[in-house]
Amino acid sequence: MDWVRLAAPAAVVLVTAPAAYANRYLTVEEAQRLAFPEATQFVEAHIVFRPADVAAIERLSGQRVRTRGQQVWKAMGAGRLLGFFVVDYVIGKHAVIDYSVALELDGRVKAVEVLEYREAYGSEITSHSWLHQFDGKTSRDPVTIDKDVRNISGATLSSQHVTEGVKRILAFYETCLR
Amino acid sequence: MARLRRCKLIAIGLLGVLTIAPATLARAVTPEEINQKLQALEDEIKNLKQQLEAVKAAPAPAPPPVPAAPGTPAAPPAPADSTQATQLTPQSPAPTTTANRDIFGLLPSPLEGLRIGMYGEFKFGKAQNPDANGQWQLAADVTRVVLMPSYQFTDSIFLYSEIEVEHGGIAGDEDDKSNGAVEVEQAWVDFKINPYFNIRSPGIDLIPVGYTNLYHEPTLFYSVNRPTLANGLVPTTWFQPAMSVYGKVVENLNYQVQVSASLEDFGNGIQETPDNNRVPPFPQGYAPGISGKEALVFAKAPNGDFRQLSNVLATAARLSYTPPFIPGLAGSTSLYYTPNTTPRGAYSDTGLPLHHSSLTMVDTEFRYRVPETGFEFRAEYVGIFFGNNRNLRANNDSDPTNNVGRAMYGMSGEIAYHQPLGRALGTEWELVPFYRYTYQNLQTGGYRGSDLNGPTGSGQQQIQTMGFAVFPGKKLVLKLTYENVIDRQSGGCKCDYVLGGVGFYFN
Repeated sequence: MDWVRLAAPAAVVLVTAPAAYANRYLTVEEAQRLAFPEATQFVEAHIVFRPADVAAIERLSGQRVRTRGQQVWKAMGAGRLLGFFVVDYVIGKHAVIDYSVALELDGRVKAVEVLEYREAYGSEITSHSWLHQFDGKTSRDPVTIDKDVRNISGATLSSQHVTEGVKRILAFYETCLR
Repeated sequence: MARLRRCKLIAIGLLGVLTIAPATLARAVTPEEINQKLQALEDEIKNLKQQLEAVKAAPAPAPPPVPAAPGTPAAPPAPADSTQATQLTPQSPAPTTTANRDIFGLLPSPLEGLRIGMYGEFKFGKAQNPDANGQWQLAADVTRVVLMPSYQFTDSIFLYSEIEVEHGGIAGDEDDKSNGAVEVEQAWVDFKINPYFNIRSPGIDLIPVGYTNLYHEPTLFYSVNRPTLANGLVPTTWFQPAMSVYGKVVENLNYQVQVSASLEDFGNGIQETPDNNRVPPFPQGYAPGISGKEALVFAKAPNGDFRQLSNVLATAARLSYTPPFIPGLAGSTSLYYTPNTTPRGAYSDTGLPLHHSSLTMVDTEFRYRVPETGFEFRAEYVGIFFGNNRNLRANNDSDPTNNVGRAMYGMSGEIAYHQPLGRALGTEWELVPFYRYTYQNLQTGGYRGSDLNGPTGSGQQQIQTMGFAVFPGKKLVLKLTYENVIDRQSGGCKCDYVLGGVGFYFN
């Protein structure tokens, strides 16, 4: 039967494919450990924005603040603060992209990771070669597509919005964490 | 005296019974057990004291969070005391409420998970009308306004659609005079299984050939009109009933495999399709869907009302890549194959039936932004190969000028430069001058069929397109384009234009 022949490969893949959560690349804990392998504790330090915080972040980053607060963890090791771990989200073309930004104590980007990518296209932004572009960026850098961050043609909106998100997180550091 | 002694004895006896009896009913408690009980009570009191202290020390609780839509983070908890260390524990991300702006990025969505985006473009200027001997005529077109509703059922199930109004819509009355279209360009549901394998439900979907057909929003190309190769050889916007699977092969290499309703060599409109879903009966005749003048523009299958003229399914496969060893490079290679484009009941103008003719299309393209410069390069090749062009309607419709050879092909190369202009009116501006050269040949050799063969040369074109695009931010573009077309027909194409355009895209 033709339909069986056509459906069989898909069925095999479905049965043998990893039972991973749909397009979840990393959990928060995995991303935390990747960014701060020396950390022994991650202390929740979530922040609810005051109106002055929102205004300052928007002014510094040029990006609209869409959330009422920011999810932040303090990375602790041997009783001392190692850095900050921030979880944020942006809209790609249609769907939400969950990503994380690990920051050094001085506000430099330590690592950016895509936690979950729901778009049909543009998953090239999950590649480490693209994400490593953010390493070492500070709020004084442009952090702008086609300036100091390469665009990915075919993932234009996803790469643009994640870049804008990282820029906003750097402004958040200057406003609320420094 | 004796009576008093008797009373005392009775009282003592009663007291003894009262005190001893309960003790004899309960099991005797050992000192160790009493100690244990006292210790347990002490521990309980200590625990309660600690909890009381913790409650006194904690700040006032935050308002209860709004329930989050799937895939959308919800409200943050009240700030925790940063001196309280917490061990690493598996936990889901604490939710973060959004200032909901899911309608065009501006307004709150009335339904959580629903988003609506929009794009569109307007064109205006002067263009030569080849049907008026090349007269330069003032031209304007509300080319398209497209709504993009999407809905996230769960983190793994996602609906996307596009509803398009083209060329001002439809209004046949004398005071409106709109001869456009309102159509569903896309409607499908994605089931996200894992990064390597995902399923797109049967629906209306874009055929994954080339770049422009998949990414055709006006902010993604620099000319007012879409690149020439995407106007005929790849009949953009090419969308059909389809189903596909897609995912990642390895990092930086993605795939999509799609099955769709096949192209049909039938160029008439749906109103001229008989109810039996065959071509109009002989000798009424019908227009070709594939021709040496328009390539595949009129060969798309109907998308609605069960009016397809063929049982055939086509298959398309696309690989897209962004090789990390060449930063700034992105490209794709696509293959489309249908075993037969001949519709039911097809015939030549001599009355003879037309039989099978397969079609194979190959497209390969790249886009390269030179790192740390403003230079950008694009190039594309499209080739179409016919299995049996003897059976194409264009070669059997009594018209000698639109015949089709064994193949059609086209290629283009483009250079652009991105020049920042600075900040104004609240956004960063960028100027992008560009030049594109295109060559396409829709009438190669190897013609076969019942027609006389008299190509005019209109299908062999060299096209030079140049101009600039100005971006006030990433969501808006202002364009100016001049296009010059040279073909081999006597007198030339007479289809040059100078057009301005406004394009926008936001979500």
